[in-house]
Amino acid sequence: MSEVLARGRELRSRNRTRLTRPRTYVWIAGVVLLLALPFYLDRFWLQAGLFAMAAAIGAIGLNLLTGATGQLSMGHAFFLAIGAYGYCVFAGDGEGGLTGLGLPTWIAAALAVGVAGIAGGLFSPIAGRLQGAYLGIATLALIFIGQHVLFNAHDLTGGSNGRDVPPLSVFGITFDDSELVVAAVPFGASEKLWYAGLVLLFGCGLFARGVLRGRPGRAMNAIRDHRIAAGVIGVPVARYRAGVFVLSSMYAGLAGVLLALVFQRTVPDYFGITLSLEYLAMIVIGGLGSVAGAVAGAAVVSLLPQLLTRYSDALPLVSAPGTGGITPGEASRYLYGAAVVAVVLFLPGGLASIAARRSRPKSGHTPGEEQ
Amino acid sequence: MSSRKSKRVTATATALAALLAVAGCSSKTGDGEGDKEDAGGIKTGVGVSAKTIDLGVLTDMTGVYATLGKSVTQAQQLYVKQINADGGICGRKLKLTVRDHGYDPQKAVAAYTELEPEVLGFAQFIGSPFVAAVKQRVDTNKGLVLPQAWSSNLLGSSYVRVIGSTYDLETINAIDFLMKEKGLKKGDKLGHVYFEGDYGESALKGSQYMAKKSGLTVVEQKIKATDNDMTAQVAALKKAGVKGVVISAGPRQAASLVGVAAAGKFDVPIIGNNSAFSPQLLGTQAGPALAKNYYVASPTLPIGADTEAAKKLVADYKKAYPEDSLDNGVTAGWTAASVFGEALKRACESKDLTRAGVDKALLTIDAYDNGFGVPQNFTDPKAPSSKESVILRPDKGVTGGMKVVEKPFTATAAEGYTAGG
Amino acid sequence: MTTFVELMLNGLSMGSVYALIALGFVVIFRATEVVNFAHASLLLAGGYFIASLHDDIGFWPAVLVGIAGAAVVGAAIEFLVMRRYRGSDHSVLAIVTIGVDILLTTELTRRLGTDVLSLGDPWGDSVLTVGSVSIAYTRIAAFVAAGLLISVFLLAFRYTSWGVAMRAAAESPETAALMGVRLGRVSLGAWAVAGGLAAVAALFLTVFPTPGLERATSLAALKAFPAAILGGLDSTTGALVGGLIVGVTESLATGYQSELTFLGRGLGDLAPYLVMTVILLIRPAGLFGTKELTRV
Repeated sequence: MSEVLARGRELRSRNRTRLTRPRTYVWIAGVVLLLALPFYLDRFWLQAGLFAMAAAIGAIGLNLLTGATGQLSMGHAFFLAIGAYGYCVFAGDGEGGLTGLGLPTWIAAALAVGVAGIAGGLFSPIAGRLQGAYLGIATLALIFIGQHVLFNAHDLTGGSNGRDVPPLSVFGITFDDSELVVAAVPFGASEKLWYAGLVLLFGCGLFARGVLRGRPGRAMNAIRDHRIAAGVIGVPVARYRAGVFVLSSMYAGLAGVLLALVFQRTVPDYFGITLSLEYLAMIVIGGLGSVAGAVAGAAVVSLLPQLLTRYSDALPLVSAPGTGGITPGEASRYLYGAAVVAVVLFLPGGLASIAARRSRPKSGHTPGEEQ
Repeated sequence: MSSRKSKRVTATATALAALLAVAGCSSKTGDGEGDKEDAGGIKTGVGVSAKTIDLGVLTDMTGVYATLGKSVTQAQQLYVKQINADGGICGRKLKLTVRDHGYDPQKAVAAYTELEPEVLGFAQFIGSPFVAAVKQRVDTNKGLVLPQAWSSNLLGSSYVRVIGSTYDLETINAIDFLMKEKGLKKGDKLGHVYFEGDYGESALKGSQYMAKKSGLTVVEQKIKATDNDMTAQVAALKKAGVKGVVISAGPRQAASLVGVAAAGKFDVPIIGNNSAFSPQLLGTQAGPALAKNYYVASPTLPIGADTEAAKKLVADYKKAYPEDSLDNGVTAGWTAASVFGEALKRACESKDLTRAGVDKALLTIDAYDNGFGVPQNFTDPKAPSSKESVILRPDKGVTGGMKVVEKPFTATAAEGYTAGG
Repeated sequence: MTTFVELMLNGLSMGSVYALIALGFVVIFRATEVVNFAHASLLLAGGYFIASLHDDIGFWPAVLVGIAGAAVVGAAIEFLVMRRYRGSDHSVLAIVTIGVDILLTTELTRRLGTDVLSLGDPWGDSVLTVGSVSIAYTRIAAFVAAGLLISVFLLAFRYTSWGVAMRAAAESPETAALMGVRLGRVSLGAWAVAGGLAAVAALFLTVFPTPGLERATSLAALKAFPAAILGGLDSTTGALVGGLIVGVTESLATGYQSELTFLGRGLGDLAPYLVMTVILLIRPAGLFGTKELTRV
């Protein structure tokens, strides 16, 4: 415990010297690059990037819950689904016999995130009673319930074929395919959403970092490392656990809204157990308990299959589907499985620990505690 | 803190200004390639160059529809190889770009986004939820999509064209067969075991419609793709006293259902949709029971049909893929590819190989038969290209494991049926 | 009434197969406190060995080889992966097993391709009919085999030195190690046992009334999760009871779906999870699980 507190002080003192560090300039270069991309990349890459951003937001949420507080959740996909479908229900115009409240889309997005949070809150009495593996498998129930509802509540979800997602519209800009020409580059849905995604991801990342670095973060780590001891020194364990569950569900809800906007259609098959497992893989690959780790893991897990499929012709051992040999789909499964295993065994802090190790070569920290 | 922030903001703003200045160099500026005209006076557009016509294939080879995806894709690759050996279409070679999405919505939509700007159209798209997901975009970019799914929900777009009868029509025809040939009559109960999802629910529309028309009662049993043991379903249907069963599920569920029914002396006729059979099953425990008491409704003649075209396809396919089994996916893939090929040939005749030209050419095809016994009519985007079904039954001795028991027909009830009604 | 009896019998026999899978979970959890998500691929591995060998060496030898093979695969996972982990977080290890599962499942499904493999069992599709109730012989065999194996394990836990070592390791790894229990060996043994049990379960999951082994067979492991949890993850009796509850719930929810339409159709998959959630609300450690005594 005391080590954790001490590190908090240390972090604050390091902040003051930030301007003189090259890292600040790397950051600025990165931001400029990200802002410039829509002018050059085509829709496929922008869409892939948007999937990664949405995944990153969801992964940050899961990392707060599983990485920082130690509550294993396999039900993340359920909360993503609530965000995605919630947005459709609030923003939809009720066409085609589907329930739609026709609210302004930005209110709908906010409400969808709120509903995801409420769903998390409703589940937290169960979550609060369960530990470790029990909680992990109890959250699996959410996936099954979610799938059942998505397929059967036809009025709300559109059943197996899903429902259309109304385009987001904020400050007079509609994030759809109607073309807006900026500096001679036509801006479609992906280009516009790219900036929305960046803003959301940045905001979510900062907020989560604030939570993790502040008092709540230390309390969460204390709960993860030793729940009873945390209680003894006065951390309100139950309240924190419920709160983190709600917060993580809201992150998932927001990721769901963004995903829905990118997909332009929500389909129930997406929100299955595989998706939940992918999110767990993201935070493990990236690094448990850190925002940067969640983002890095999300980028790896969601971009790797796309890269492999796109460049399958150029890769050794991998052959185009239908010609025999290992298909790109299989190759990416192998790599993804191997990455999870390899990271845990050889890089216990995940990808985030590489960066951390470089900037702080001597600090003997435990995995999952950097930023 | 605040000075740092303001400095960052200034830096970002400067960068943004610089960015807008250099954006002029981006290759994305301008509206890209428009329609062109080549030396022979043929109009060309996206996906067509002087030498090639690019087509996309969005398939599933690693997910739940892997069996179907593999056969369909290989048959389409075979078609393309043969067309190219004969000199191609319009002096251009066909080229398929295959993307395996493993039945993952994210990969499917990504693959569509990737290929769409590069191909003329899609000769295959597996997974009707994903087709539905990109339908809006298909309607804007007008690139023809031939889905390998027979759901009535996909009808209505001029650019997404379902080949052959949809599941609802097929189910109507199947029940019609049970009533005419297998003693199912008015007032009887009919069991319907169906998959959760598009396929099963589309078929259920058919059985509900037919029940209303013919005075039957449908006893529904909804299952999931992961259910492989039909014991509980058979017990329930037995208790309800059904006189016939329709199964709109996968081959494994059909095999289990037929096997359990046979073992429990529950002797009612069982008929499945075309996706509810695969020849691999005849080698399993369920083989004998399937051969005895199972029928399959199919939109075309089976691969083992006694026609010139079918025999040639069997021989060529066996030569190209000696290790793979011949199933209805081969027929379906071949048919879709040849429909696309036919549309291209007609578009070539009217000297318009643009997307619009191909769409227009397809609308002129009113009785295309590639040798599988059922003429396809593409003149009405709101209807599937045929309402006919063929009734088959499993037979180990025949190529592809299926023989014809009832030639192509359309039930009277199906004539007046429109999807969505 | 006949339907009810048939559904119950079917549920009980399926449940006993789920119990075998759940027992595998429990054994691993007791020895190492890891939830093993790679169990699905162990199932597939066991089934694959039996299916691909029975033609050459006959059914019974193939079953033995299959059990041994899956046990080796399980032990290999423990030896090559689990043992190498230096941290102490058990949920991280659970996530590693997901990675292992993806690797193994991809490899096995690639080998299986689109085939449906028959297991060559001697029971075929014959059925025992008593009065108006009929049940497949394969189901009786499943019930008997599962019952025998589970009793053997209950006895082994109680009376053999391996069982004592295992219980000691579960109770307190440090103390056990100090008392001379080789923890590595205990956990290696647990993984091997789980693999063997999975192979037996795979056999009964793929014989009649299911057509054979194929890529989706591994999904049955998803039904053993609620079984293991609702019985109590560290209780062998719990695995048995949990398996039976899941089997019966699933069978009844499917057979009576026409009477349950207000919940939506196709409940078979969902019902076990609902039952599990309710039980966990009342008893957070499952029916027979060890309750944590700490309260803050």
